[in-house]
Amino acid sequence: MKIRNYWNLRDYGANIWENAGRPVRVAIVLVSIVLVGLLPFTGGSFLATPIASFDAVLVYPVGMFVLMSLGLNIVVGKSGMLDLGYVAFFAIGAYTMAILGTTTKLNTWEIMPIGIAFAMIAGVLLGIPTLRLRGDYLAIVTLGFGEIVRLVVLNSTWSKGPNGIANIPMPPHIGPLKFELENQRVFFWVVMAMILLTIWMIRRLSVRRPGRAWEAIRQDEDAAELMGVPTLKYKIWSFTLGAAVGGAAGVLYASKNLYIAPEMFTLNVSILILACVVFGGIGNIWGVVIGATVLGYLPDRIRFISDARLLVFGLVLVIVMNFRPDGLLPRKKREKAIVKREANA
Amino acid sequence: MAKIGKTLLKLDNVTMKFGGVTALNGVNLEVKEGEILALIGPNGAGKTTVFNVITGVYKQTSGIVDFDGTSLGNQKRFQVTALGVARTFQNIRLWGDMTALENVITATDVHKKSGVVGALFGLPRARREESENRERAMEILRFIGIDEYSDRLAKNLPYGVQRRLEIARALGTSPKLLLLDEPAAGFNPAEKVELAATIKKVRDAGYTVLLIEHDMSLIMGISDRVVVLDFGTKIADDIPSVVQNDPRVIEAYLGVPADAS
Repeated sequence: MKIRNYWNLRDYGANIWENAGRPVRVAIVLVSIVLVGLLPFTGGSFLATPIASFDAVLVYPVGMFVLMSLGLNIVVGKSGMLDLGYVAFFAIGAYTMAILGTTTKLNTWEIMPIGIAFAMIAGVLLGIPTLRLRGDYLAIVTLGFGEIVRLVVLNSTWSKGPNGIANIPMPPHIGPLKFELENQRVFFWVVMAMILLTIWMIRRLSVRRPGRAWEAIRQDEDAAELMGVPTLKYKIWSFTLGAAVGGAAGVLYASKNLYIAPEMFTLNVSILILACVVFGGIGNIWGVVIGATVLGYLPDRIRFISDARLLVFGLVLVIVMNFRPDGLLPRKKREKAIVKREANA
Repeated sequence: MAKIGKTLLKLDNVTMKFGGVTALNGVNLEVKEGEILALIGPNGAGKTTVFNVITGVYKQTSGIVDFDGTSLGNQKRFQVTALGVARTFQNIRLWGDMTALENVITATDVHKKSGVVGALFGLPRARREESENRERAMEILRFIGIDEYSDRLAKNLPYGVQRRLEIARALGTSPKLLLLDEPAAGFNPAEKVELAATIKKVRDAGYTVLLIEHDMSLIMGISDRVVVLDFGTKIADDIPSVVQNDPRVIEAYLGVPADAS
């Protein structure tokens, strides 16, 4: 049994973590953060992407995908609701940034909370009537919502319709750190901070009442309701927190891209983010992070095969899902006490 | 022996129709504080429907369900639980991917006030409630006698433990009235004896129990009163020894002898 532990990386990692004291844990976290933070400086290595510059790829798609996948994972992974319209919240955040950024003097950091608030309000408004639905029906309604948001911005004058909005301001510098188009490492660090904040939020909620309520809803919603879980309330919370993360990603995306248009917010984005979640492992934070990283990075890394790129991308998806149907790192809860008891015996 | 007190739950002329099928037909039922009331009847008699009407899964077609002075007619299901009615399920419906302890903690959340904001920022009340819940849940597992399984995932537990965990989870909501839907289904005689002792223990701890069961010896041993349903109608309501010899009950269960009709 011991040897199997070494092959099972997830259990191996979890064992190290669980047997470590507080200082060791802090050290592991800090070292990991620093290592990931240094990624933009590895541009010259084999990791570099052929066409787009490496640090730009790290911000979008990789960082953005990870952030959005973590947000969607709250909805799909934690509480088990299939949301096919996640791009709507991304779009709401992006358009908030675009419109307020071009018409007022507010900067990105001031618009950020407004964008998050708008996305959350949209989440609540959509959630109250629709979250009584389950499974496929919810998926269809959310899919419709995603399309409605796109069609509204496509056909409205305030959003400049299909022309999109240009000249969106960049974020102002933070201390000595300047945001530049040529070198996007500061953007990457901001995305990273947002990802860390999201992970902190999910981990915190998971082990407390909201996490238990979501887990109960996902596994047996009727039993949850009959055991006193106010299911609608917690489903709306889950939806709203997911929306908040999507909105935050949207604000930053608009401020990085300087230009947004309705065609950036199609159903494809929702599906791709969902694919990241499923590919990595529904409900597992680290699985989702890895899944989104791979699916964000791979298409750009293999750009040298140009036209065959999507074919290879699809092939990788099919092969991996065949060998690991529950994703790269599946959600599987360990029975901690049992593991320990056997180790002692 | 616990003292039997005032009426806790009252079903007044409750009728439940599904399209053309009348599942319950003018059922009157009273559960008194501190008693173990058994609800029996042949398959399809409407026993589980009674549970579903009480817990708000179905809304009765007519009649009144009164629990401790509150009408349960317009309550949401989780509100009924918060008022003090908890149930187990005929087919086990635990949250399989949670540990036994987490199953019970989730149920204890019903009377707590902290929510997402408190959990996120670790507000004092949320922290206090978390540790209170954990202690309370562990206490319940000990009380039911399955605390050694607290860290095991519910789906990996032996069948008998799962059944007992269902009771523990229901107790987690601190109910005044506990509804047990065939808690002994699939048990062997020894396990049934053990379960009977547990149910008595639960009652003696101050809970009122309404029990659906098929096993006559179990029911006769522990219940203070037995109500018999047949085709959605109440046909008997008395102490076990009387019900046992009631010709209408025998008829409903065993059918009428050919020469008698």
